[in-house]
Amino acid sequence: MSGGKLITGFAVTATSHTLGEYRARGGYQALERALLGMKPEEVTGEITASGLQGRGGAAFPVGRKWSVIRPDDGETHYLCANADEGEPGTFKDRWVLENAPHLLLEAMLIASYALGVRHSFVYIRGEFDLAYRRLAGAVEEAYGAGLFGKDIFGSGFSCDVFVVRGAGSYVCGEASALITSIEGKKGYPRNRPPRLTVRGLYQKPTVINNVETLANIPWIIAHGAQAYRTFGTTKSPGTRLVSVSGHVTRPGVYEVEHGYPVGRFIHEDCGGVLGGRALKAVIPGGISTKVLTASEIEPHRLGHFGDCEDRRVLPQSAGIPHLEPLVFEGESLQAAGSSLGSGGMIVIAEGTCMVRVLQVMLRFYHHESCGQCTPCREGMGWLHRIVDRIVSGRGRPEDVDRLYEISRANDGTTICGLGDAAGYATVGILDKFRCEFEYFIAHGRSRYDGCLECLGSS
Amino acid sequence: MKHLIPECEALKARLPQGFESTLVLPCLRRVQEERGYVADGDIDALAQYLGVPRVQIEEVLSFYTQFRRQPIGRWHLQACHNVSCSLRGAGSLLDRLRERLGIEPGQTTPDGRFTLSTVECLGSCGTAPVLVVNEVYHESMTPEKLDALLEGLE
Amino acid sequence: MPRIFINGHPVEAEKGQTVLQAALAHGFFIPYFCWHPALSVSGNCRICAVEVEGEDLDIACNMPVREGMRVLTDSEAVQAWRKRMMQFITLNHPVDCGICDKAGECTLQDYHYEYNGEPSVSREPKVHATKFFRLSARVLIDNERCILCSRCVRFTHEVSRSRALGIQNRADSSLVRASEDGRFEDDPYSDNVIDLCPVGALFSPSLLYRHRVWYLQATPSVCPGCARGCTVRIWHRRPDWALHALDGRQNEAIARVTPRENPAVNGPWICNKGRDLARIFERPRATQAMLKGEPVALGTAVDAARRLLEGARRPVALVSNWGSNEELEAFQRALGGRVRAFVKEDFSPAPGEPVEDDLLIRADKNPNTAAARALFGDAPPAFEDGTDLLLVWGEGLDFSRLPTRVPIICLNAYLQPENGHADVFLPVSVQTERAGHYTNFQGVVSAFEPCFAKRDSVAHAESLFAALASPPGPSP
Repeated sequence: MSGGKLITGFAVTATSHTLGEYRARGGYQALERALLGMKPEEVTGEITASGLQGRGGAAFPVGRKWSVIRPDDGETHYLCANADEGEPGTFKDRWVLENAPHLLLEAMLIASYALGVRHSFVYIRGEFDLAYRRLAGAVEEAYGAGLFGKDIFGSGFSCDVFVVRGAGSYVCGEASALITSIEGKKGYPRNRPPRLTVRGLYQKPTVINNVETLANIPWIIAHGAQAYRTFGTTKSPGTRLVSVSGHVTRPGVYEVEHGYPVGRFIHEDCGGVLGGRALKAVIPGGISTKVLTASEIEPHRLGHFGDCEDRRVLPQSAGIPHLEPLVFEGESLQAAGSSLGSGGMIVIAEGTCMVRVLQVMLRFYHHESCGQCTPCREGMGWLHRIVDRIVSGRGRPEDVDRLYEISRANDGTTICGLGDAAGYATVGILDKFRCEFEYFIAHGRSRYDGCLECLGSS
Repeated sequence: MKHLIPECEALKARLPQGFESTLVLPCLRRVQEERGYVADGDIDALAQYLGVPRVQIEEVLSFYTQFRRQPIGRWHLQACHNVSCSLRGAGSLLDRLRERLGIEPGQTTPDGRFTLSTVECLGSCGTAPVLVVNEVYHESMTPEKLDALLEGLE
Repeated sequence: MPRIFINGHPVEAEKGQTVLQAALAHGFFIPYFCWHPALSVSGNCRICAVEVEGEDLDIACNMPVREGMRVLTDSEAVQAWRKRMMQFITLNHPVDCGICDKAGECTLQDYHYEYNGEPSVSREPKVHATKFFRLSARVLIDNERCILCSRCVRFTHEVSRSRALGIQNRADSSLVRASEDGRFEDDPYSDNVIDLCPVGALFSPSLLYRHRVWYLQATPSVCPGCARGCTVRIWHRRPDWALHALDGRQNEAIARVTPRENPAVNGPWICNKGRDLARIFERPRATQAMLKGEPVALGTAVDAARRLLEGARRPVALVSNWGSNEELEAFQRALGGRVRAFVKEDFSPAPGEPVEDDLLIRADKNPNTAAARALFGDAPPAFEDGTDLLLVWGEGLDFSRLPTRVPIICLNAYLQPENGHADVFLPVSVQTERAGHYTNFQGVVSAFEPCFAKRDSVAHAESLFAALASPPGPSP
């Protein structure tokens, strides 16, 4: 199995999300410990020592983000939990919200204490229904039990929480757009500087952490940073919630210790590729991370380069297959030219048309671009229209190069990461599967049946 | 909108001073829950109540996909067609929906019973494909399950 | 004072400045669309990128200056970035310069030649959007030309405070739209968004397809619409491109009015009234001197006025607060010792006109009340018993409120019924036909210059006063 469980280590039942059962599992003891036995700086110190990294996609060290805030500087600070999980392929925060909402709330209280926050926010995506109801119910339970409000545990610490539901916008998962949305406006991201920890919500210093990131905090406070570091690897301590979907036998949310081999995870823990087909590709951490071919996942097992017969089309940057198996760790995925991202793993079986996959992705980015800055507003539609045209059988030979150019022109030129992400996704697929695009353009049809479904397998 | 003001006032209790504008999204959601859409009069009332410019509310309504300013069918069928759902049969599901309802995404059946929409990732990738009916997720859908589901929606 | 280096040159920047501000202040040009000195930083157009040695490229408008930073405004990487942004900006822009009124003074057009110079590489159909969409009765938008820089939106939120414009939808379907409650109609500063627009997206329906800017010339002037005295440019046909075969009246017509930036008075803005100066100056003109409504030669009328003045014992003058400083002084010099002068309000707020606000608009709807009162006091006009001559300069006076059976000498530029009731009527020039100065309510003196030549049949009031003061008889 995929290692220790810090977040999911309890049996999910119809009532396991309630306050009573959460407390029976030892819930809110870490909060009590922090409020009654630790100074705010000590809490931040413990988190810094744990090496906990953000789980929303950027893997920024949490302690470093928190350390910018001086809890006693007399300034108003805010904390926002980012529950706007929208990265396609990612549904792990939804798991936490539905099954352990109190874990998030306890973490928010601990974080608010460490950061000198009086008012905290959860920004939850608007489409979530059960997750919202469970969270809202948990908030009321917690208020009823005196866990929010004034003078919590008699410590003198007071904190409120307010849940804001989004209303259908992927970009609001970006921290500054999330803040703009909490301010009741359309979700336009903001330019940096200033960083949000300097000027965030209503221009006050604001910390924004992903739900899963926060969900690690009670465990760290309860057991200590050193105990936390016994999980995972030196560079990536702890575990990772991986949500697996696509052509895989047992999709779902898995808690995986950092360092666990990706190939073994797919083939053993998740039951392998649907219908016993060969693995074609894996999008490791949400569609904004670069796709990896089967041979990159398991270079030690597979001798071929995956789908493209012509080895020369594999550029250097795609990585000469490294002989170490790929493992769940930021460095390992970076070495393979990708990223752990948000932990939203999409498994793609042999026989799937990658041109169509890219079309779906680009339709999504085009639909979700907020339209504020030039390269993304114009570039997303441009990419989308080109791939649409290829799929309609009217591709032109120069299209592949054009897709590369537009992707690169979005890299690092936009206000937020959406344009970059679309570029990574595009370049990732083009790098590995250029031959499929060339085939589609030359013949006006997919090399495969053109379906995305794993037909005849289920 | 006006009769929702006591409810909105209760929300304010957990917010810091000066956070009126934060109530734009929650209030619009409540209005839409009740009326099914946001009417022009609601916008005026909300702008006045929260002291925000009307154009801000208009922008919000047009920016977020969940808000609508026109009534729709009794049952809002929202089929995800993002990557994970597509890999698990969203295309066939959508074809069946088109065939059964005789409408394209974005349209409402003439009897006002169904409105069909395509939506982007709903975080239901592990139980794909997903069809959301009004607020409720129907996961791991198949064309057969869809037929049964549609029968139950009057 | 952080010292930074721009293209290798040391520059003393000011604390709190951005790299863009520091560069512009020291003569290094960095292109920009969305940035504007009087608006907040939006950073959306992405054209102003610069390279900081040892770092990634980033936009200069949002980059604070840091001690010792080495900025490159024109490196290869910067040039490549700009080219890419220009490709994006023109992707869905119609590039219809041939029929766009902005052509010739369009930032996008200029930058295209400066930084791109290549046709679009895109072969995809352009995204279509609304054209001639009405934001208000005064401002239309072509959403296909719009590059969504949001200057106009920010203007209504930050400057005019009508908060009337916004951007609807998202991605490449985004559209600048006015608030549906119509408050943009009531924004008295709305036309500034037309100047702010860096492309030809926003335009005035009343000016559409009337002029190409390269046939126009701008004459510095001062708006007489209120006591603020905003400095403006009055645009009119260049004399070297005068029309001969077509409608010659166009040679003497105001094409448009734009602000002339002036930190002491109006900053970069003017109100909509200032845009409509043609409605003031192009009213039907009085061009014929008259005696009791009967046309006479100008010299005859002047002589008749002299006789009246010479014979009067207790003459009273009502002095126009639309007179320039020079005209008022000329009056004072020539007639000040002989007549009792009061300042007359030529204009009071019109029905529906914004009376006063905290941006520019002043309740006094006349340009030179300050200078007139400095010379002639601020007592309201009073007619003692025995008043035996009235000299009325300017318009806006109800003759029925004047003492009866007292002869009137009237000086007016416009064709108005009162003119015929005067014993002597003398037509005078308007502001666009002469040079002069106004003193605004703060005491700031601003100059205006003539746009058009004066007709022979009308007189400049300045020279007329001296003529009236000389003894009757044939003019020398």
